[in-house]
Amino acid sequence: MAKISIKDVHKNYGSLNVLKKFSLDIEDGEFVVLVGPSGCGKSTMLKILAGLEPASGGTIAFGDKDVTDLAPGDRDIAMVFQNYALYPHLTVAQNIGFGLKMRKMAQEEIDRRVADAARTLAVDTYLQRKPKDLSGGQRQRVALGRAIVREPQAFMMDEPLSNLDAKLRVHMRAEIGALHKRVGVTTVYVTHDQVEAMTMADRVVIMREGEIQQIADPDTLFQHPDSLFVASFIGSPGMNFLTARVADSGNGPVVKLFGAEATVAHHDVRGLSEVIVGLRPEHLSLGEGPVSFRVKPTLIESLGSEKYVYFSEGEHHASFSSRNEDENSKGLIARVSHTGTLPESDELVLSFNPENLYLFDPVTEKAI
Amino acid sequence: MRRTLSQSILLYATIVGAAIVILFPIYWLVITALASTDELSSLPPTFWPEAPDWGVFAKVISERPILTWLWNSTLAAIGAVSLSMLVSVAAGYSLSRFKVRGGHSMGMFILTAKMLPATLMVIPLFALFRSFGLVGSLWSVILAQATFIIPFTTWMLKGYFDTIPRELEQAAMVDGCTPLSAMFKVVLPISTPGLAATGLYAFVLSWSEYAYARTFLISEQGNWTANLGIAGMRGEYTSAWNEISAASIFVALPIIIIYIFLERYLVGGLTAGAEK
Repeated sequence: MAKISIKDVHKNYGSLNVLKKFSLDIEDGEFVVLVGPSGCGKSTMLKILAGLEPASGGTIAFGDKDVTDLAPGDRDIAMVFQNYALYPHLTVAQNIGFGLKMRKMAQEEIDRRVADAARTLAVDTYLQRKPKDLSGGQRQRVALGRAIVREPQAFMMDEPLSNLDAKLRVHMRAEIGALHKRVGVTTVYVTHDQVEAMTMADRVVIMREGEIQQIADPDTLFQHPDSLFVASFIGSPGMNFLTARVADSGNGPVVKLFGAEATVAHHDVRGLSEVIVGLRPEHLSLGEGPVSFRVKPTLIESLGSEKYVYFSEGEHHASFSSRNEDENSKGLIARVSHTGTLPESDELVLSFNPENLYLFDPVTEKAI
Repeated sequence: MRRTLSQSILLYATIVGAAIVILFPIYWLVITALASTDELSSLPPTFWPEAPDWGVFAKVISERPILTWLWNSTLAAIGAVSLSMLVSVAAGYSLSRFKVRGGHSMGMFILTAKMLPATLMVIPLFALFRSFGLVGSLWSVILAQATFIIPFTTWMLKGYFDTIPRELEQAAMVDGCTPLSAMFKVVLPISTPGLAATGLYAFVLSWSEYAYARTFLISEQGNWTANLGIAGMRGEYTSAWNEISAASIFVALPIIIIYIFLERYLVGGLTAGAEK
């Protein structure tokens, strides 16, 4: 097991810069998730780490050893692929033991380790089957078995759960988490699913267009997003964004929202006449509160114990470059606890606590 | 979705029609072999000979060097298929996997070579083989056939390799393989159906080839291939069509037998289960 140091790694395809200078130190045993939308460079970074793609520049070290120019097989890592990449002509046992055989390990030792790994992942009853005779979840376990049997310095996982159905994904997510706790191997995990990132990671690296946006633990990312992009990426349903005018109430700065004033004294809004306000759907409540306003719902979805109330942002419509057109025009959502019926035809009173507001500079899109 | 009666009738009528078109020449070959000379020239033709002459096959084997011709065809096919597969596995894999400058144009160039008629190459190849002293030798046919088989097999294999997920080689490389050993240990074993289909196709191309054999081997009767031998069975004034047909059946048999054995490789893929 080893610490991984990535320094100024970048990747160009001709004039196209798919990965801008990427630097990250991963601690021994840490579980780091690279997350971001398609094309953000996360898989490219993982492949460079694994040695499957050469970097255009920069260095990578595992422990004290510079591995930048080493072949994948010489890096002592194991990789789990999105499509499992099991060898279809080999049995489960041969698949798991393939890497050991390539390293010319004695057959008895291979058999012992394969049996151990298979037991750990509960695939020991399928050892003589071919991959085509396994279900998606079983294949995924075999792919994990192939990784752990080698006892490598680090695991690289490239969206390993995205081919599974929703229920199995949640189950395997927990299994991978438990496996990581048990074997304690440094893991770099790539996903586009923010829920996976938040639930599994010790630290999350959010990427966009080849650049790191923020590196932090899941709670920090959720509570203190550095930018509009991070704020909009983390959370489900996503954060609401509104354009609001800044005014001075005499008792400090306020933002004007839906005809009400919300004090934003703990944000530095000097020199700004307008800001983008972020408000998480779960921070809106039904009924009167510190700042209240009336809305006419456009749609109400019931999830049993809670409801999603959709309503229009009206004059507060906010559109910014970190979000695509669909997201910019999706309206606002309140996630409220309510078990009864809520008729869509009635106006509702919603409220929020101004302490839960996030403010962003509309030009730099950075948090204020 | 259930078929309606009219759809079923149309479907079976089409299948029966296609089967008749495909099987009739084979049927005609068989009855021509079994019919007497008189029956062959009678009008209207008979659709099954009155006294089938099964002895024609033994006669062809004893009176004609058909077994030598078949052996020569076999040697030529084995040589041409081996050489073609050796080159086109490497070429097809490279075209499928490695992005090199000019790689695409090279692929298109091979494709263009495939479109040229084989006879176009007869004269330059003849000149070449004469200077190497290969005219009359089976090697001339092996090398000449490889020139038109390789473009076909390279493109067939490239297409097959394109369907194999790259992650399999990447997984193998992470597991400690070099790119070359990943190809031998993972890609080629999975490609057995593709290799078998391509090899069979190459075999058929070689087995049915006539123009090169006629040009390069005509002077060396001991090296005649089956097609050349059968063509030589035609007499100047009369031809024993029943014997020619019997010999033709002997020539067609190996292809049919090979097809029966390789059919399971030709249908269905082994890559099922590699990925979701």
